[in-house]
Amino acid sequence: MVCGALLTPVTASAAATKASQQEVAEALTCQCGCGLTVANCNHPNCEFSVPVREKIDTMLAHGMGRTEIIAYFRSQYGEKILSAPTTQGFNILAWTMPFMALAAGCALIMFTVGRWHKRPPAPASSETPAADQAAVDPDLRRRLERELRERI
Amino acid sequence: MPLIGQLALALALILAFYSIVANVLGARRSIPVLVASARHAVWATCAMVTIAVLALWTSLLKSDFSLEYVASYTSSTLPTVYKMTALWGGQQGSLLLWTWLLTIFTAIVAFQNRRRNPEIAPYALAVLAGLAIFFLGMLNFVTRPFDMLATIPADGQDLNPLLQNYWMAIHPPSLYTGYVSASVPFAFGAAALITGSLDDTWIRSTRRWAIFSWFFLTLGNLFGARWAYEVLGWGGYWAWDPVENAAFMPWLVMTAYLHSVMIQERKDMLKVWNLALIGMAFGLTLFGTFITRSGVISSVHSFTQSGLGPYFLSFLITAAVLYTGLLLFRVKSLRTPAEFESYLSREAAFLFNNLVLVGIAFAVFWGTLFPVLSEAVRGVKITVGPPFFDKVNAPLALALVFLMGVGPLIAWRRSSLDTVAKTFAAPVIFGAVTGICAFIAGLREWYVLTALSLGAFALGTVFVEFRRGVSARRHMVSENPARAFVNLVAKNNRRYGGYIIHIGVVMAFVGIVASSFFKTEVKKSLKEGESFQVGSYELEFLGLSQNETSHLETISARLELLRDGKPIVLMQPAKLFYKRPQQPATSVAIRSTPAADLYVVLAGIDDATGLTTFQVFLTPLVFWLWAGGLIMALGTVVAMWPNVRERAAIAAAVRLPATVDIGAETVPGGD
Repeated sequence: MVCGALLTPVTASAAATKASQQEVAEALTCQCGCGLTVANCNHPNCEFSVPVREKIDTMLAHGMGRTEIIAYFRSQYGEKILSAPTTQGFNILAWTMPFMALAAGCALIMFTVGRWHKRPPAPASSETPAADQAAVDPDLRRRLERELRERI
Repeated sequence: MPLIGQLALALALILAFYSIVANVLGARRSIPVLVASARHAVWATCAMVTIAVLALWTSLLKSDFSLEYVASYTSSTLPTVYKMTALWGGQQGSLLLWTWLLTIFTAIVAFQNRRRNPEIAPYALAVLAGLAIFFLGMLNFVTRPFDMLATIPADGQDLNPLLQNYWMAIHPPSLYTGYVSASVPFAFGAAALITGSLDDTWIRSTRRWAIFSWFFLTLGNLFGARWAYEVLGWGGYWAWDPVENAAFMPWLVMTAYLHSVMIQERKDMLKVWNLALIGMAFGLTLFGTFITRSGVISSVHSFTQSGLGPYFLSFLITAAVLYTGLLLFRVKSLRTPAEFESYLSREAAFLFNNLVLVGIAFAVFWGTLFPVLSEAVRGVKITVGPPFFDKVNAPLALALVFLMGVGPLIAWRRSSLDTVAKTFAAPVIFGAVTGICAFIAGLREWYVLTALSLGAFALGTVFVEFRRGVSARRHMVSENPARAFVNLVAKNNRRYGGYIIHIGVVMAFVGIVASSFFKTEVKKSLKEGESFQVGSYELEFLGLSQNETSHLETISARLELLRDGKPIVLMQPAKLFYKRPQQPATSVAIRSTPAADLYVVLAGIDDATGLTTFQVFLTPLVFWLWAGGLIMALGTVVAMWPNVRERAAIAAAVRLPATVDIGAETVPGGD
C-alpha cells in the first residue's frame, strides 16, 4: 500500500526525536485553561506549561523517571493535572465502563438474536451483485446478470 | 432595525404556537383547511425568523453599536466578512442561526409533505414547531439578540481573534446544519410514535434528510478540525475537547442509524432500535449545545458561556422523557417477527457495526462526563484528556474498520464458511501484504501495522465490489470499463455512494493513525541567516517583517524551505496582535504534501538576544485526513443524488401502500 511506502522516510527520524520530555508532558494537563496537555499548549508565554516543561527537563537531567516526575506534579497540583484518570479506586470505572457497556451490548445482541425466529437453512442469498460467491462461479454470473438486467 | 427584528421574533413565536395547534387539531379531526393553515403558519414563521436574521445582519454590517450584540462581538475595523460571521460569533446570534435553520428546514418539510404523509406529517411539523418554540422562547425572553445599550460605545469589543478565520466562517454553519437537520428524522420518528403509524414510512420520508444531516455533521467536524489545525498552532487537529466530543457523538450515532435503517428497510427488523438511535442522535445535538453554553465542563470552545445551561438541560430531559415514554408505550406494536439465520451475514455485520459505533459514542460521552461524575462522587476534580480517549477508542476503531470491510461483501441472511473464504480471499491477502510491506519498510508499532492491514482489507472489499459490478455490466451491455463504472455508480448511487464514503473513511483513518504516531517536533531559536534541519527539509530564516492596519499588527517571519539545497517555497508564519481586544493570535505556515505536512509556528521573538524561536512539526500523511473527508463528502453527494429509477420508485410508492416491500437498495428517497 502506498501509505506504507510514504511512511518510511519519516519513521526513523520520528523514533529518534521522541523526547522523554514529550512523554511526560503528554501525561500532564496544562492549567492555563487551554484544555491541552502540557506538551501541546503553545501559548507563547504560558505561565504554566513553559515552566513545567523546563522543570521536567531539569528533573530528567537529574535522572528522575517518568513515573517519579508525574507523581511529583500530582503532589503539587492534585489529580486534575493528570491528563487521564488513574487506574485506581473510583477512576477504574472510567476505563472499564466503555468496555463493560460494549460487553453488555454484545450480550444483548446475542440474547435478542437468540429469541428471533431461526429459519431452516436455505440457499445462500442471491439478492445482490455482492453475493458471496466467487466471481468466476457461473451461477453467480447468471444471478448477477439477472439482477443487473433489472437495474439497468 | 432592532425593533423590526424583535417584533419578527415575537410574531414567529406566536405563529409557531399556532402551527402546533392547527396541525394537531387539523390532523386529529381531519380538517384539511386547518392543516393547510398550519402549513402557511410554518412558512410565515420561517419568514419572520428570516427577517430577524436580516435585521441582525444589517445592524452588524452597519456597526450599530447601540445593539449590545453588535457592540460585544464586532468593532468598526472588523473586516466585513467577519461582521457577517459574527452572527454566530456570540450566543444570541448562534441561537438565532440555529432557529433560522430549524424554521427553514421545517418550511421545506411542510412543502415536501403538502400532498404526502397526511397521517404523520402534521405531527412531525408540530414536533419541529415545538423545538422552534423552545429556541424562540430563549430568543424572546432569555437571551435576546436585539437588546439595546443605555449608553452607545464609541466602538465595539470586537470578535474573538480565534474566530476571525475563514474556517470559522463555515465550520459553525456546517455543524449547525448537521445538528438541526437531524431534527427532521427525529420529528418524523416522534410523529410515528404519536400516531402509531409504525411502518417504515417515517424512515423513507426522511432518509435523504438523515444523509443530509450526516453530510453536514461530517463537514462540520472536518472544518472544525481544520480550524484547530490552522488556528490553535499546536500542530494537531483534535484534542478530545468536550465540545469536539459533543460534535463527534451525533456523527457516530447518525452513522449507526444510516446503517441500521437499511436492515429495517430490507428485513423489517430493528424498529425500536432505529427509533432509539434517532432519538439519541437528536438528544446528543442538544447535549452539544448544552455543553457549549452551560460551562458545566470546561472547554476551549466555550466562547459564549452563559446561564442558558439549565434551560437546555430541562429541555433535553423533557424531550428525552417524552420520547422514551412514547417509545415504551409503543414497544409492543413495534415488535415484528424477526428472522436471523446466521452470524455470517450482513445483518450480523451491521448489528456489530452499530454496537461499535454506539460503543465509541458511549466511550466519548462517558469520558466527557466523567470529570463531573468524579467531582460529584469523590469531590475531586480530574481531567479526562487525549490519552484516555486515544487508548479507549483505538481498539474500537480497528474493529470498526474491520466490520467496514466485512459489510459490503458478505451476503444478506447467511453465508457458508466456504463462500466467505472465497469472497474475502483477495481483500484479506491485500490487507496481509500491506501489513508485511509496512513491516519490511521498518514499521514496528503493532497498532499501525494492524490499522494499515485492516484499512487495506476494507479498501480491498470495496474494490472487489466495484470490480464485480463493472465486470457484470461489461459482460451484459458491452460497455467500456470507464462507462461501465460511471453507469454502475449512477444507477445504484445509494450503494456505491456508500462505498465511496468507505474509501474516504479509510483514507482519513490512515491519515489519523500515521499523524498520531509519527509526528516529529523541532523547536529552534536562531538569528537571521541561520538555518536548521527538520527531517529531510532545511529551513533558512531570512528575517522578520512587520505590517500594521487599523485592526491588527502582524509580525511575519520569512523562512526559505529547501530540500537537497534547492529552494521549494517561502514560508511565512506570523504573530498577530489584535488591537481590540488586545490579544495575540498565531498564523501558522503549512507546506502540505501527500507524504507529510511541514507546519511552522512563529513561537517567540526575543528582542534582547535577537533570537527568533520556531516550533516546527513534520506530520506524515495528515493530508489524507482532509482528502478522505472530501471523498466522504463526495460519496455522500453521490448517495443523495436522485436518479430516474428512484423518481419512478417514488411515484410508485405514492401510489402504493407504504407497506409494499420494494427492497432496501431500490426504495425511493421519499424526499
